Amino acid sequence: MLLLLLFAHVLFTSLWPLGELFATAFRPGEDGTPLGLMAQVLAARSTGRALANTLATSAGSVAISAALGVSLALAMGLARMRGQGVLTFLILMPVIIPSQTMALAWIELSGAGSPILGPLGLAPPQGRPNPLYSAEGIALVMGVEHMPLVFLATRAALRAVPGDLVEAARIAGVPRWRRLCSIVLPIAFPAVLASALLAFTAAVGNFGVPALLGIPGRITVLTTLIYQRLNGFGPSVAGQVAVLALLLTALAVAALALRTLLLRRLQVPLTAGRPIEPGPAPPWVAAAVWLVVALIALAPLAALAMTALLPAIGVPFSLATAGFEQFSQVLGNAGVRRAFANSLFLALAAAAGCMLVALPYAYLYVHRRNLLLRLLDPLIEAPWVVPGTVVALGMILAFLNPLPVLELSLYGTMAILLIAYLARFLPLVLRPVAASAQMGDPALDEAARIAGAGLGRRLRAVFAPSVLPSAIAGGILVLMTALNELTLSALLWSSGHETIGVMVFALQYEGNSTAAAAVSVLSTLLLLAICLFTALCARWLPKGALPWQH
Amino acid sequence: MHPRLAPLAALLAVSAAMPVSAETLTVYTSQPQDQMTAVIEAFNKDHPDIQVELFRSGTTEVMAKLQAEYAAGGSPADVMLIADAVAMTQLKNDGRLYSYAEAKTDGIDPALIDADRTFFPTKLITTGIVYNTDLVKEAPKSWADLAAPEAAASTIMPSPLYSGAAVIHVGTMTQQPEFGWKYYETLAENGAVAGQGNGTVIEAVARGEKAYGVIIEYMALNAKAKGSPVDFVFPQEGVSVITQPVAILKDTDALEAAKTFVDWQLSRAAQEQSVEQGYFPVLEGVAPPAGYPDPKALKLLSADSGRMLAEDQENKEAFAELYGG
Repeated sequence: MLLLLLFAHVLFTSLWPLGELFATAFRPGEDGTPLGLMAQVLAARSTGRALANTLATSAGSVAISAALGVSLALAMGLARMRGQGVLTFLILMPVIIPSQTMALAWIELSGAGSPILGPLGLAPPQGRPNPLYSAEGIALVMGVEHMPLVFLATRAALRAVPGDLVEAARIAGVPRWRRLCSIVLPIAFPAVLASALLAFTAAVGNFGVPALLGIPGRITVLTTLIYQRLNGFGPSVAGQVAVLALLLTALAVAALALRTLLLRRLQVPLTAGRPIEPGPAPPWVAAAVWLVVALIALAPLAALAMTALLPAIGVPFSLATAGFEQFSQVLGNAGVRRAFANSLFLALAAAAGCMLVALPYAYLYVHRRNLLLRLLDPLIEAPWVVPGTVVALGMILAFLNPLPVLELSLYGTMAILLIAYLARFLPLVLRPVAASAQMGDPALDEAARIAGAGLGRRLRAVFAPSVLPSAIAGGILVLMTALNELTLSALLWSSGHETIGVMVFALQYEGNSTAAAAVSVLSTLLLLAICLFTALCARWLPKGALPWQH
Repeated sequence: MHPRLAPLAALLAVSAAMPVSAETLTVYTSQPQDQMTAVIEAFNKDHPDIQVELFRSGTTEVMAKLQAEYAAGGSPADVMLIADAVAMTQLKNDGRLYSYAEAKTDGIDPALIDADRTFFPTKLITTGIVYNTDLVKEAPKSWADLAAPEAAASTIMPSPLYSGAAVIHVGTMTQQPEFGWKYYETLAENGAVAGQGNGTVIEAVARGEKAYGVIIEYMALNAKAKGSPVDFVFPQEGVSVITQPVAILKDTDALEAAKTFVDWQLSRAAQEQSVEQGYFPVLEGVAPPAGYPDPKALKLLSADSGRMLAEDQENKEAFAELYGG
């Protein structure tokens, strides 16, 4: 019974939309040739150009993510420096801040009127477009945004390097750089490679950065091509864009498959033992780390905040011009207030919904592992693994036509957004809950069953309390991610159902980037408040639930 | 209720709450967010019982959204308030618009009103030239000045693939014997580029990324008033003009509220408010915003709107050919 309900949920939120999408992509062409639609779209010049741009910007961003992430992880993992906790949080900042805010912040930082680079004399000359409106710019900002993925994986790998090995080499007189190059790095290498592939998947599916930098720069990637086609021509082109979505999915899934293969092939058995003892950091290392962090995390956000204080674009920043007019104006805007309310509602509902689905699923996962459940697994993961644009398109295709029986279309309602959020973010809760459920003692459930407790009672009184901390940690992650969601919302929003991400995007496009900056600053503050609140509750959460803590 | 049912139940509750009551009016518009907020506030002062919901995007995207919703079985939209009459005429030809014969149009130039009274002008918006005052020492005077190699190399214009005002502007310019597509070819050869909507134009010029831009007047003049380093020129050959028409959709479920909204748009209170927001009024006897020329003294470029509608697709394709999609 429980299983059937779960199955119905997955069918509704994942299998149906994605299935509809693939069915559409494989439709015959207008003249009836099998796979005609696919052949037609794949042959179009715009498709080739978008594919080439996607590959180029993603590859470039992975190089930047890997270089930055590995160097920072080495510095932080092998050396001890002051303010470690703050530094780690700042390094993770780019992935915590939503990508549209990051992109906006970088635009403000790097423009001719940059409030930070300008006074330093480093701003680019006037009369030319922002240098970030280019393929290189997209690669740079995405590279910084996804750097924490590489950083986290490398840091974890470094902790697994046996300290004895390095110690033995040191005693044998191996110089420091050779210990690094021939012991530490080779052991960490598979993890670096795997995380680079993860960063590639993230880059391929990124919408916020190429939307804000690439649309003005006319660098179209697959996600923005789908968005522009759908927005410009409406669902009549759904078939064409379904093929593009398929292409996008293929790229993402190929990278992830390669990652799984690599992890399996390159895994080295390591002796358990004490990890490397970090020595005090040489001053230049500490200085370099702070400099990098200031440049990638603090400077863009400072530029964004300073822009939000200006009365209009192009006004130079000074104490005389700065003020809080933008904030009072956006807070006085009913649309902006509604966007905040909508996003908060959606994020809370998605977090609660995901927790409610994850609990029984994790229970079954541990206690009744059967075939149907194993079939559900990839279906639950799918909406998180494939790019958000693909999920949104699937939702449109599935829910545009009125639902059977109910005779009402979900398109243009809040419901379609909520369904999309529930589908996409479920794995964020399910993974930690399933992990902690597996560590639990099955005898407890058995004892309760023998004592006569029914399934519902066991779930409520025995299972739920044991995994609650991880469920809450997962729920908070969903809350933070969903609050600033843009990729799904950009395609699914409608009048009265706008979200914060959509509002930032729309204001920027109206030419009101000071207001867009103000809304971004407000949403970032909200996000940081949630981080702070979570950090205060950290001791009730399982160890490792918050990525910026050790 | 079983906990797993809760999300589904919540979904159903949310979607069941969707059908709007007769007192909710949904307006689809291309006018900027902050302006519409002020418009709704003023409207609610006179009509507190009507709650207005908004969908805002570029005219082209608003139209796409509407088509999508019709494909899904119906749109929540009751009133359209978009930039150009071409898009409105398309809707009218598709039989989507309600003919509001008794609309209160006294004091409005009958030449601007649709003969079947399906849509009505709410303001006049002209397209001219914006320039960055830090980068440009000598203000341009004419469209011809803009096509000069140095100027064109640093010019940005809105694309008709996004903006309704640009649809009319390109349609008007290409109908002038002295300009035609030749003018756009020269601009493109000399390095002018197209952005998306007018927002991208003011953005680029105010930031100093471009020195010149083709833009609707209020956006440039409002930015100037707020302190951006820009100024606006009504070119001497004449300007193109759009009327930001308002119309009621035929299958509205709030006809009375929609009529109230349309009449209010044409009233003195609304006209005075749009003057405050930087628009030329359409109502006789309402003065234009301070610093704007008398609309009667403005030279308007004449255009055949029937031909513009017929050539709409062709124009968009020709523009995309020169400036990219």
